[in-house]
Amino acid sequence: MDAGMPAASGDFMLLLQRGAPPGASMPWCGADPRVGRLEPAGAAHGTTVLALKYRDGVVNVGDRRATAENLVLYDRADKILPLDDHTLIAISGSYARAMDAVRFLRHSFNYYRRSQLQEMSLEGKLNEVTRFLVGTVPDLLQGQGYVVPLISAFDVSADAGRVFFFDVAGARFETAEFGAAGSGSHRIRGAFDYIVKTKGPFHEMALHEVLREALVLLDIAAELDAATGGLQKVLPSVKTVTREGIREMEEAELAEVVGQLGAS
Amino acid sequence: MAFTPYDWNQSIQHREDYVADRLREGSPVVGLRYAGGVALVTLRRSQRKVFEIYDRLMFAGLGSQSDIEAVRVAAIDFAHQEGFRRSPDDVTIQRVVGFALSPALKRQFADPFHVPAIIRGLFAEVGQTPEDDRLYLLDHDGEFEVYRHYACAAATVEQQERMAAYAGRSFDASAGWESAVALGLRTWAVGRLPAVESEDDGCAGGATGAAVPVLPDEARITQALAEGLRDLQPEVGLLERDAPRESKFRLVPAEEIPRPG
Repeated sequence: MDAGMPAASGDFMLLLQRGAPPGASMPWCGADPRVGRLEPAGAAHGTTVLALKYRDGVVNVGDRRATAENLVLYDRADKILPLDDHTLIAISGSYARAMDAVRFLRHSFNYYRRSQLQEMSLEGKLNEVTRFLVGTVPDLLQGQGYVVPLISAFDVSADAGRVFFFDVAGARFETAEFGAAGSGSHRIRGAFDYIVKTKGPFHEMALHEVLREALVLLDIAAELDAATGGLQKVLPSVKTVTREGIREMEEAELAEVVGQLGAS
Repeated sequence: MAFTPYDWNQSIQHREDYVADRLREGSPVVGLRYAGGVALVTLRRSQRKVFEIYDRLMFAGLGSQSDIEAVRVAAIDFAHQEGFRRSPDDVTIQRVVGFALSPALKRQFADPFHVPAIIRGLFAEVGQTPEDDRLYLLDHDGEFEVYRHYACAAATVEQQERMAAYAGRSFDASAGWESAVALGLRTWAVGRLPAVESEDDGCAGGATGAAVPVLPDEARITQALAEGLRDLQPEVGLLERDAPRESKFRLVPAEEIPRPG
């Protein structure tokens, strides 16, 4: 095409670099002009998110609290976000970086699908997540905040839900039954294993059965970790990913499950 | 090269003739609003013809495959850069067609060292409300026209007017998408039929002198559509206003497309 019309490309990162105004750099790649500056005190952090397999796919549960040091900044933050029809991201760590990640990944997946006329493979999507995390390492080393995401996907080709967690540098690990991230997650890690060993694997349970376990775990995390919001004040966010796509659980349905927990 | 105004006019005319000649065999595209959004309807050979551009935008066109691809990719690139840098709400059909594509096509058409793009494209946008739905017809020279309810892209302006006249007779914005597709397919067939020779020199406007296209009768349309469907595949893209996803586009699977008869 004529000058001014970019050539065909499936690489959203390259496209952005090419189209960016002179002098601009993406915050997660290359030399950052903010070198040496510390993250401003008061930057928001998200806390505890859980991903558990169940019979039809994966359910994600996240508290709604965002904290800045010991300040509760916001109690209606949504940390479970759809990336596309079959991929959910649950975020913990720097809220600003995480939102950047979500925006970048959504655009990257959409751009690939629309320009290449095919869906990006699950492996490709996971590599994009790693690429984002690798890009945040320089900032991480300067204490500017980091993101630890959980990815829950319904793998259409394998016809199964899958859960992946990452470390701050971008290493990816797949888990068999569950994943958790955020400051509250370390307190409850052993409890997941206890449930699997005593009640059986999550991927064989029905949605409400797994959801009850997840809500109890989140409640315990909130009791043991000051940065994690509980169940009572604001309902947590709950989303599922299955063969049919992503569904956000209705507040009435969730309130009923939470109510039953209190009664038992 | 152009040395006099006459040469310049000649070179533009040559380019127009070249594009018209290359467009002649193209399969028309019909865009129609329906109760839940906007539909683009066409028949194609092996290559896809209806494409998703952005959350609320789609595109289909006729012309050379490489030019359709270049316009498609340019639209996608512009939409995604804008949507990422600002917000998906800032990606509108007016900006994509009017700002990003039209001037570039015009430059290409007017540049004697470039082959002009062989394309006639139809862009559709689904709005938050039915009043905001839009269809943009983009021509090879960068000119574009805005339509509210239905629009047709075909090889000649005469074909487009004939198709629009036919679609306008039974267009119903409150119909379901299946009815819109049925009308779209018949309108496509109207575009494929040769112009009807009327008794008063092809002008049926009567005393007013306005040229109203003469439409073929329904039996011929049914036959032309049946012939088209024998050789070609129907293709339908929808922008569904109430889809729960951010992306409103859906390429209707072949088995879901209503077949006539």
